[in-house]
Amino acid sequence: MAANPIALDVPIPRRRVTLPPLTAKLATGLIIGAAIVLFGLIGPLLVQDPSRVSDVGLAGPSAEHLLGTTQTGQDVLAQLAYATRGSLIVGAIVGVLTLALSAFFGIVGAYAGGWVDEAFSLFTNIMLVIPGLPVVIVISAYVADRSLLLVSVVLAITSWAGSARVLRGSTLSLRSRDYVLASRVAGEKRWRILAVEILPNLIPLLASQVVFAVIFAILGEAGLSYLGLGASDSFTWGTMLYYAQNGLALRLGAWWWFVPPGLMLALFGAALSLINFSIDEIINPKLRSQTRAARRGWRMSREQLRKAKESTL
Amino acid sequence: MRHLFRKLGFYLVALWAALTVNFVIPRMMPGDPVDIMLAKLGQKGPVSPEAKQAIEAMLGTDSSQSLLSQYGDYLGGLASGELGVSLVFFPASVSSIIGQTLPWTIGLIGLATIISFLTGVGLGTLAGWKRGSWADNLIPVTTMFQSVPYFWLALILLFAFGSIWPLFPLNGGYDVYNVTPGWNAPFLGSVLYYGTLPALTIIISSVGGWMLGMRNMMVSTLSEDYMVTAEAKGLRSGRIMRRYAARNAVLPSISGFAISLGFVVAGSIVTEAVFSYPGIGSALLQAVGGNDYALIQGILLIITLSVLGANLLVDLLYSVIDPRIRARN
Amino acid sequence: MFHLTKSRVVATAAVLALGLAGCTGSGDTGKSGGNGDSSITVFNGANGAIVENWNPFIPNFLQPTSGAIHEALFWYNMATDAPPQPMLGTAYRWNAEGTELTITTREGVTWTDGKPFTAKDVAFTFDLIRRNKAINATNLQIKSAVAKDDKTAVLTFGVKTFTDEAAIIGHTPIVPEHIWSKIGDPSKTINPNPVGTGPYKLKTFSAQSYVLEKNPSYWQAGKPQIQNVRFISLATADAASAALTAGQVDWMTSFLPGLDQLLKNHKELTYVNTPAMTTAIFTCSNAALGCTGPQTDVAVRQAIYHALNRDQLNKLAGGGFAGTASPTMLLPERDKKWIADPAQATIPGTADVAKANQILDAAGWVKGGDGIRAKGGQRLSMTIQTVTGWSDYISLNDAMAQQFKEVGIELKPSQMSWNEWSNNQVQGKFQLSLDSIGLGANSNPYHTYQPKYSSATTAKVGEAARNSGNFARYDNPVVDRAVQAAAGTNDENVQKEQYKIIQQEIVRDLPYIPVYVNSLLTEFNTSRATGWPSNEDKYALPASWKIWDNGIVLANLKPAQ
Repeated sequence: MAANPIALDVPIPRRRVTLPPLTAKLATGLIIGAAIVLFGLIGPLLVQDPSRVSDVGLAGPSAEHLLGTTQTGQDVLAQLAYATRGSLIVGAIVGVLTLALSAFFGIVGAYAGGWVDEAFSLFTNIMLVIPGLPVVIVISAYVADRSLLLVSVVLAITSWAGSARVLRGSTLSLRSRDYVLASRVAGEKRWRILAVEILPNLIPLLASQVVFAVIFAILGEAGLSYLGLGASDSFTWGTMLYYAQNGLALRLGAWWWFVPPGLMLALFGAALSLINFSIDEIINPKLRSQTRAARRGWRMSREQLRKAKESTL
Repeated sequence: MRHLFRKLGFYLVALWAALTVNFVIPRMMPGDPVDIMLAKLGQKGPVSPEAKQAIEAMLGTDSSQSLLSQYGDYLGGLASGELGVSLVFFPASVSSIIGQTLPWTIGLIGLATIISFLTGVGLGTLAGWKRGSWADNLIPVTTMFQSVPYFWLALILLFAFGSIWPLFPLNGGYDVYNVTPGWNAPFLGSVLYYGTLPALTIIISSVGGWMLGMRNMMVSTLSEDYMVTAEAKGLRSGRIMRRYAARNAVLPSISGFAISLGFVVAGSIVTEAVFSYPGIGSALLQAVGGNDYALIQGILLIITLSVLGANLLVDLLYSVIDPRIRARN
Repeated sequence: MFHLTKSRVVATAAVLALGLAGCTGSGDTGKSGGNGDSSITVFNGANGAIVENWNPFIPNFLQPTSGAIHEALFWYNMATDAPPQPMLGTAYRWNAEGTELTITTREGVTWTDGKPFTAKDVAFTFDLIRRNKAINATNLQIKSAVAKDDKTAVLTFGVKTFTDEAAIIGHTPIVPEHIWSKIGDPSKTINPNPVGTGPYKLKTFSAQSYVLEKNPSYWQAGKPQIQNVRFISLATADAASAALTAGQVDWMTSFLPGLDQLLKNHKELTYVNTPAMTTAIFTCSNAALGCTGPQTDVAVRQAIYHALNRDQLNKLAGGGFAGTASPTMLLPERDKKWIADPAQATIPGTADVAKANQILDAAGWVKGGDGIRAKGGQRLSMTIQTVTGWSDYISLNDAMAQQFKEVGIELKPSQMSWNEWSNNQVQGKFQLSLDSIGLGANSNPYHTYQPKYSSATTAKVGEAARNSGNFARYDNPVVDRAVQAAAGTNDENVQKEQYKIIQQEIVRDLPYIPVYVNSLLTEFNTSRATGWPSNEDKYALPASWKIWDNGIVLANLKPAQ
């Protein structure tokens, strides 16, 4: 929930935007993520109407239905394509909103300082202690026609505060850096300092927070859907799982109905996590450089290490 | 001193804000509780139109009261610990429902969170200490589990270990068939047995976060100058790992842990739905379904209090375990 | 599997007690002695924590309170059209005006605390209701309730009360005077130690499960035979199906998709399907009361009626278990005698697309370029509402949308919370809505036609219609007069005449468009108990959540050999 407590204490390097090096982790993450996004974008154009029923209910994968059918003979692949699009929309909306809200309340507040910071910080902290999921459940139950947009907005409103707190911490530390003070002395405009000197250094952190928010949102939407409180006007991975669960897909052996949406969720989440690893390494270069164990390893073999250890005992 | 007052002031404002949200949100929900109760009764058998008056008389609800005076009554009721009567679980009082369900939730989710934290921090320490070791290679796996939707994983595990290979029970908090609730060994054993699978699913899906966080902090800490000093002094590596590295690296994790303890009550809803566990989360779901203002408010109050309490705990704890903060004060 | 030594000891003690009490003459002590440890588990839909409440007069009472513990004077078997069966009453007689009811009560019945049951308890119960408005759920206008002697109770009413007969004799639990006269406010107690006349009594209670044990001195000789009945709580259909197939539940009523496949490898599990409620498309039909949309045109409703391919709907959404509905909204088999025109007993399973098209053409709905009809600038497009999570209804909507397209009608399904859905129906803020009709106080069509079709139970759009009332906003003076006339008599032949009039009107106007009679699937485990209701022997409605019938079923079960 408290998005990433670790980042609080992380030093911000004095460097401008850097692209992460293309490691194996990052490459895997990007490829899986891109493939899923592509499927969500193009898939719905290629498949049949996901709501169309037919008399072949609960049939396994076949040439006609590559991923089989649901209880009512709806094509699982078609639903999966639309669901991918739906879930990605949730992720995108929540990502953008979290970015905007947390940047506003975190960065602007901290940079402005004074009573603005006090007020923003108080508001952030209050939002942080208001429990997310229960409030989401209560609000979802309140609204009649739960559109995808509504569910996303509710998820964003209850989840931006953690990011804002992290960003505030970093901004406070950046604000008192020498080069910022220097540009202030040099008479740079305040907004220019914020936009040119501070913001670029926060981009990796912002990116990491947004990726977290997207994972959180997609998983959160799935959880809500499982409780029957998700979006009711669109397909998402969560609503697919909900119908599969309601139709006892697992117990009836209809893995083709139950497994794909869950797997897509897991894969997309894993892809984003892998991307986040790489972003983390920009934020905190120490994670990249080899440390103690490695340093020793350069000098001594495992065997030598063990002996050395024994001799020190 | 001023710092302390500011903190206290914040907690008071936060508490008031949360209480007000608790008051407002349920009242924005559609439908009159009396109508809903009537309609629900109507599903089971015939209900006459006049039953409405009967139910109003019974619930003592007065819909004509203004919102402001309801708010006053609400705050007054809270101050005296009076949470009202639940609609869904009529005629039980809200406090009795909370008292009945809360121990289950705290027992299950609380224990699972503690186990998950200890395991995650332990493994994270090892992973950060020796990068590239087996523990470090575990990280992608646990992170993968973290991105799997919790209920999906739980349902599959429940199906696998409850139905296909019946190692664990299918539902509930204890063996209702054979044991009597109370402080007796068979009951407690049964509770442990029934809680194992739900707890395991929570641990599997949450341990990755602790592990990754701890590992990254370990890595950061290990490159500090005092670590080099410690090594140069020739201290035993176990001592360096525990007293020098882990002790400093664990600080952010502890704050995260306290906060997540606060969310124990809130995070149990899905778990309880999957395992038919008799906790406070399932009570909240039912309360929402039945427009049970009083119960929703009561449960949100408990959740808010536990979150605020946990945050307060973090603040106090930090000044104890982190000498830098003590020095600053 | 469930018998540990401890429960066996308790059971043995109960058998001993039974042996002693058995001398009073039930004569079955020998037989039941051998079955002393028989025990079954029931899932009656309880979800989450169970709250102790054995007071049958207030909401949320535990379901076995009425039936297994407390009994009524008579019992209506809703699975058949049988006359009310005598329980605590043996005969009843109205005066000609319908204002005085004389009840003869059964002799030789005792309360579970050993005190004898008499007509005084009956009089006390109704007097209790008279004195406490809060527990008078059916708003009976009782003037007085007195016991003339130990086996005759006389109730007098302020108004003609024929139509409340079922509520009085079939749905009022009789409580003991010697206990309830000491209770200050009967709407506030949870009746912690219920004393009834039924086949079972309370043994243990906890928030997760409670156990009833057999009443050894039950007035029906030789019944019940199952020693303990346990009730449990489960959260989801998945949990229920898992518990059923694992042998942890003996009796539950739950629609489980793929039921045959689930039970395939379990010889001990059977099920019975007793469709009882008609699933219908509720339409906000009356423009005069504020309804808007194409469905206010009777031609559109008739076209929908003919455009439905009910066989396909049954297959896709009903799991193949749904029964054929009647356009009269009665049950074709059970209510045969009430359906005036045999041609209206059932609806054909296939769609009559030609007829639907013809009706719409004649009414001036012309097909547009997108295949959807329109008239005077209004597209023939309607929203249908259902509740999130009612997966069979959601499937129905998907399938119907496809079927309607063929005749040029656009159907837009929407899902919402139960509260919102229910509120929309009560307020009339919907175009089409999926719901079901049926299970009145007894099988007399009055309990269908009066609440659903009479204008007395409706209101303008935006105002609350009566609970379970005329949500369609249907207003037809002919129907109103017939309902009134049927209420004024208890002569079935007069009633049939009136119902015939109603049926002619509603079959034409279709404010509720019948889809099918929804399945009511009840699953049994026969390895511990036998004697469950079946389609051949519908001695009770088998639904495990049904009050009153639960007592009948439990009393009729026998331990499996």
